[in-house]
Amino acid sequence: MVSKTEESQLQQLENQVENGGGGVWEYLSLVRKLKLRRSDKVLKHGLTLLNDPKKRSALGADEWTLYEQVAIAALDCQCLDVAKDCIKVLQKKFQDSKRVGRLEAMLLEAKGSWAEAEKAYSSLLEDNPLDQVISMRRVAMAKARGDILAAIDWLNKYLEIFMADHDAWRELAEIYVSLQMYKQAAFCYEELILSQPMIPLHHLAYADVLYTIGGIENLQTAKKYYASTIELTGGKNVRALFGVCLCTSAIGQLTKGRNNEDKEISGLAAKALEKDYKQNSPEKLDLLASTLKTLKL
Amino acid sequence: MAKSMSFVVGVIAVLMLLHAAYSTIQYRALLKITEDEFSGPPFEVLLELALVLVLSLFAGLTVPGNFRSILPDSDENRVVSLPANMNFMIFNHRGKAFPTETGLKLN
Repeated sequence: MVSKTEESQLQQLENQVENGGGGVWEYLSLVRKLKLRRSDKVLKHGLTLLNDPKKRSALGADEWTLYEQVAIAALDCQCLDVAKDCIKVLQKKFQDSKRVGRLEAMLLEAKGSWAEAEKAYSSLLEDNPLDQVISMRRVAMAKARGDILAAIDWLNKYLEIFMADHDAWRELAEIYVSLQMYKQAAFCYEELILSQPMIPLHHLAYADVLYTIGGIENLQTAKKYYASTIELTGGKNVRALFGVCLCTSAIGQLTKGRNNEDKEISGLAAKALEKDYKQNSPEKLDLLASTLKTLKL
Repeated sequence: MAKSMSFVVGVIAVLMLLHAAYSTIQYRALLKITEDEFSGPPFEVLLELALVLVLSLFAGLTVPGNFRSILPDSDENRVVSLPANMNFMIFNHRGKAFPTETGLKLN
């Protein structure tokens, strides 16, 4: 979960680090805490920390966490040599550790030797069949090989055991959306809303899916979820505001204007949009006005 | 600085409370000598207690730190993006075709 304050804090730290202002470790910790994918920056700045013996030893035990973080970032950037070196260091320190074993398997994965990676994961799973991260890696590997259906299979099996893992539910929802299986995706988003009702982005994604499915009832529900997103964000989510407008327009087309109760909410949303555009990008105000006009609001 | 100030205020409030208790005890001792009924602490002590209430409330609210927002749409609580699903990260993406800066090496 990245809140608004954390986002601005990250932005500031990122600028500072990019301009050589120090605070590299704080930045890397924040990236790790917020679970963000900033592989190129983590690789570049993490390596400068690791290559400086003085700074590295100042980290104490956190040094190994940093090695792991940099290794994964290097894999993501296809700098396999760096990743290999990092993993070697970790291996020397933690012999027969599962976590390092996982990193090695990930290295195989990044190289594209799927069969070997699969073998490595299976042997790791044999020792501990309920290892969540390795089960997730298997899903990811199926996805990476382009075998989306197998990924769905694995993910469903995984979710049968770990039903409370909302990240997995989100992944499944995204896979379903990518395959245009909206009904299944909607189910996943319902699960997500149930488990984390205060996160507006789940409401928003659910509403998006319902709007895409279409039909008067779904549109009504989508409008309600857009409205709840607006409520949770205090009207600062532009997508939700547009969503309300689009929903009312679509409902109006389906009912041929018999439905008058929606006019009010869409009018309010349009007003909020206009205010937001006036404040943040006045040059696009005309574009907004013409868009709203075509929606007949 | 402000914190230590309110901490001092809190200490003063506690001392005043002790003083009020002490004055009441003294007052009761006096009543015993004059053989009057005790109907309640004197007005000055009540005033002091009211002051203690205000001061300790102030100290109790300021010393532990600031309040956190409970509104879902406040900047602290409003979720603007979800974490990247790092556990499901895959490596054969378009970044493969554009290798980032070469020459990085772990010494």
